[in-house]
Amino acid sequence: MIDRDRGAPTDPPAAADTDKSGEPVDVAEARERRADDIIRRKQEERVRSAIQTELSEDDTGEERPRPEDPGPLRDAIIELERISLAFDRPILEDVSFAAFPGETLVIVGESGTGKSTILKLILRLLQPDSGRVYVNGKDIAGLSFTEALAVRQQMGMVFQSAALFDSMTVFENVAYPLREHTHLNDDEIEARVREKLEFVDLVPDEVVEKLPAELSGGMKKRVGVARGMANNAEIMLYDEPTSGLDPLTTGTITRLIMKLQRELNVTSIVVSHDIRSAFRMATHIALLADRTIRFFGTPEEMAASDERYIRDFLGGF
Amino acid sequence: MSLALTSVAKRGTAFTTVHAFRDFLPPLLDRLNDAAKRKVHSLQDYFILAWNALRFIFARPFYGGDLVQQMDAIGVQSLGIVLLTGFFTGMVLALQSAVQLQTFGASMYMGRLVSASMIRELGPVLAGLMVAGRVGSGIAAQLGSMKVTEQIDALNTLGTDPIKKLVTPRVLASLIMLPTLTIINDFVGIVGGNLIAQFYLDVPTSLYWRTVWEQIASDGFIFRFVPNDFVQGLTKPLVFGGVIAITACYFGLSTSGGTEGVGISTTRTVVTSSILILVLDYFLTQILLSLLVAP
Repeated sequence: MIDRDRGAPTDPPAAADTDKSGEPVDVAEARERRADDIIRRKQEERVRSAIQTELSEDDTGEERPRPEDPGPLRDAIIELERISLAFDRPILEDVSFAAFPGETLVIVGESGTGKSTILKLILRLLQPDSGRVYVNGKDIAGLSFTEALAVRQQMGMVFQSAALFDSMTVFENVAYPLREHTHLNDDEIEARVREKLEFVDLVPDEVVEKLPAELSGGMKKRVGVARGMANNAEIMLYDEPTSGLDPLTTGTITRLIMKLQRELNVTSIVVSHDIRSAFRMATHIALLADRTIRFFGTPEEMAASDERYIRDFLGGF
Repeated sequence: MSLALTSVAKRGTAFTTVHAFRDFLPPLLDRLNDAAKRKVHSLQDYFILAWNALRFIFARPFYGGDLVQQMDAIGVQSLGIVLLTGFFTGMVLALQSAVQLQTFGASMYMGRLVSASMIRELGPVLAGLMVAGRVGSGIAAQLGSMKVTEQIDALNTLGTDPIKKLVTPRVLASLIMLPTLTIINDFVGIVGGNLIAQFYLDVPTSLYWRTVWEQIASDGFIFRFVPNDFVQGLTKPLVFGGVIAITACYFGLSTSGGTEGVGISTTRTVVTSSILILVLDYFLTQILLSLLVAP
């Protein structure tokens, strides 16, 4: 169901004898096809298994989705189906992937390739020009602004700059979603805030009264994670969670994302170009290049890929 | 021969000019078209923001805490500059008028002149301009900083409508506080005029205040007890308050380009709202005069 009707990979221009890297076109073409085959095979496997699950479990005679409108993947918590989006120029073209419960999907790619745009589409801060975005099987592309606010409450988002509210203390920041969307009393809110701060390895008594300006970069990110998960969100989205951090703090944040998956079975979508962290935390990696998903697979599959672009992207890793 | 050559040369020049226009005109028109479209879109966004901000005053959830905080920031903290501006404006108005009034032996009418000027025009406009400079720039800078540091996106992702949380309390606070500040401004200005009348013109305070009241009463009342001057003097700050807050929020939320963008938004807010205050003042005066003053 992912990458439906993609068909054979597009042929390279016949007139050129060599590609950008100077390789003969037939060699480059063969590599490109092989990489495409890997992506397609992997995606087909997932589609087959999803269809088989559906066939084995759904024997009630209900009308099945039509091929041209196949609907969401069963069990997928987030699915992007043939998404295209353009502003002044095309940003995303025919992007499809899915994330299943408890997975950590890392989207990697060069800067300016539209990685953060994918998060905004999942949050319904942007609407695609074409295609569908499913969250828990519900198409969110057509929702009104108010309905979208409700969907966003199921998710927690950690921003590149942490985006903590400057005028509020750490306590007020973490308590914000609870005060907005729950009927918890003050004691319950305080207990929840302390629990989340402890989960992200902060000492509540030391930080609750501090303003964001008094925190280090790593602490801000951790408070951001605590705020994102305050509502017990089942989906966490991270936009460059390790950018601008030193290697030790990067390791701390990476371990924190893994802890969320391991202990709370949270589904995480992480946008990053920190390939080392991506390989540590990801159950699947999607490589975004040329406005579309160039590779989708496990970190091992990515490491084993001999596609030139992927090798170049991985660099010395 | 030479005439023929000149004619050919002229035709050549005309030909070149036509070609230059052909090459030059379409891109120019395209650019003008794009610029016009952008302006219309901006205007549309401005009015949509204004409509939503006002609509959300009556929609749950109410952010009472934010409203009180903004009333303090917009009203209480602007009190100092408004008191100073009003007091000195009232004094200078009286001082400038004193010479003319003495010439005609009409010093006793000082109270009428100062109160009419302050209540109808100077109070609302000066309070508006002061608040636009102090509060408008502050709102634009605050919302602009929130925009460039992704805090507005964070609000959205936390399921909060930024217009309801940020814009509506600021607009409502401004709608409440600017008329309040204007009343204070008017009063302090009239007191300033009183000091000049007493010490420069030897007009007794009791006479001064009696003429102030005569002026207020002379323009008639609405519903028998609301003086027309007050209606004029309070309608304007109500409109100015809305315009200042919405303009500041609009430019703040449209900020892009990092800290430099915040600076640009702040400047645009002060310039735009100041111009709007002065332009709207003229049209509001026209409308109010035609509605309130009996033919």
